[in-house]
Amino acid sequence: MAVELSNKMSREIIERIKEISGQDPYLCMQCGTCSAGCTGREVMELLPRQVMRLLQLGDARALHCRSIWVCSTCLLCTARCPRGIDLARLMEALRVINLRSGGEVLVAEKIPVELLTRVPQMALTSGFRKLSA
Amino acid sequence: MKIPYFPGCTLYNKARGLDNSTRASLAALGVELAELSRWTCCGTVFPLARDNYMGMVAAARILAGVAGEGEDRLLTVCSFCYNVLKRVNYEMQHNPEARQKLNDYLEENYTGEIQVVHPLEICKEDVGFNAIQAKTSRNLKGLKVACYYGCMLVRPALEMGFDDPENPTVMEELVAALGAEVVEYPHKTTCCGSYQVLHENDLVRQRVRDILNSAAAKGAEAIITSCPLCQFNLDWLQGKILEQDAGFRQIPVLYFTQLLGVALELPRESLGLEQHYVDPRPLLLGA
Ligand code: SF4
Ligand code: SF4
Repeated sequence: MAVELSNKMSREIIERIKEISGQDPYLCMQCGTCSAGCTGREVMELLPRQVMRLLQLGDARALHCRSIWVCSTCLLCTARCPRGIDLARLMEALRVINLRSGGEVLVAEKIPVELLTRVPQMALTSGFRKLSA
Repeated sequence: MKIPYFPGCTLYNKARGLDNSTRASLAALGVELAELSRWTCCGTVFPLARDNYMGMVAAARILAGVAGEGEDRLLTVCSFCYNVLKRVNYEMQHNPEARQKLNDYLEENYTGEIQVVHPLEICKEDVGFNAIQAKTSRNLKGLKVACYYGCMLVRPALEMGFDDPENPTVMEELVAALGAEVVEYPHKTTCCGSYQVLHENDLVRQRVRDILNSAAAKGAEAIITSCPLCQFNLDWLQGKILEQDAGFRQIPVLYFTQLLGVALELPRESLGLEQHYVDPRPLLLGA
């Protein structure tokens, strides 16, 4: 995979990802176990394994891909990774770096009223906690 | 037996049926739930960012409050509440930094001594499936039930310590004790898409369709769960799936406590069976 210089993440951001997640993406051996079971795989343009690879390469596309917002934190990847990587924590680190700089994807006004009035309260709390700044 | 009970925000609103049927069915088994005198939302999701202690405050306060009352257990039934309370409790036990920060903030001195328990554990460990079988008055013989655990009850295995993370069986054991027939299917611990129903609705619809079709292919007539969000996704989205696929076969999605309540022949008002999108009453009550 060719890495364009403009896509390079700074050392500082890579260190922050590691610190916030407590995980080392370099442990990943690219087996794909995480991607095989991932809940969001059908609508992710980059599968969890590919996000890991971009992190190893310091490619900033990992920080800006849709996959991190599709993740439902179901922890299946974390449970099954043969290298013991808690991938869900890495996904969360990528989200919170966006969220802490104001980037969010779940906007209350955009939720259809039909859904808003029917969903269990916990869906709103968890959705906003994971996907809103 | 009396156990402190944390219902959680959803059980006071959209999942009234889970709250009522949990209280009623456990009471019929001799377990009295004593609702906490004061409680707040638990925060619903465990924060995975290691520097996010604020996300643990609500759960830590609830747990410390229970310990302050001199209790040693706390029961909760919603999968999200159970997950976050149990994981924060685990942090209070094993993570000195989390323990100190949260205690400093809350002005508490809590070290994780409360045991967070789920009604399924109470059914298995405290009451026992034989005793439950002896107490059921309505035989559910012939009813084919698929058990759906979803993600929150079983993962992560170390912290949750709930059952086998890849193949939990406690719900199936309960179904068998009620005299119904257990349906095995491959999706019982996959995720339904959870809160993504708000953001990636198509994805959740696809997941729900896979789970339901897989259970239906094995002959399931009903699905049981303990999670209000799984229940909602699996139940409400069936109408949407039906709009796109006229051949889709609908399946009632119940709380396990409702099925338990039916087998114990509890008063219908305590079960909330009328609150579902796919009506389970024709199947369960012949009404
Ligand atoms: S399962 Fe673990 S080792 Fe395998 S690709 Fe995923 S992150 Fe890498
Ligand atoms: S936690 Fe996220 S990335 Fe991992 S399997 Fe679940 S949806 Fe996929």
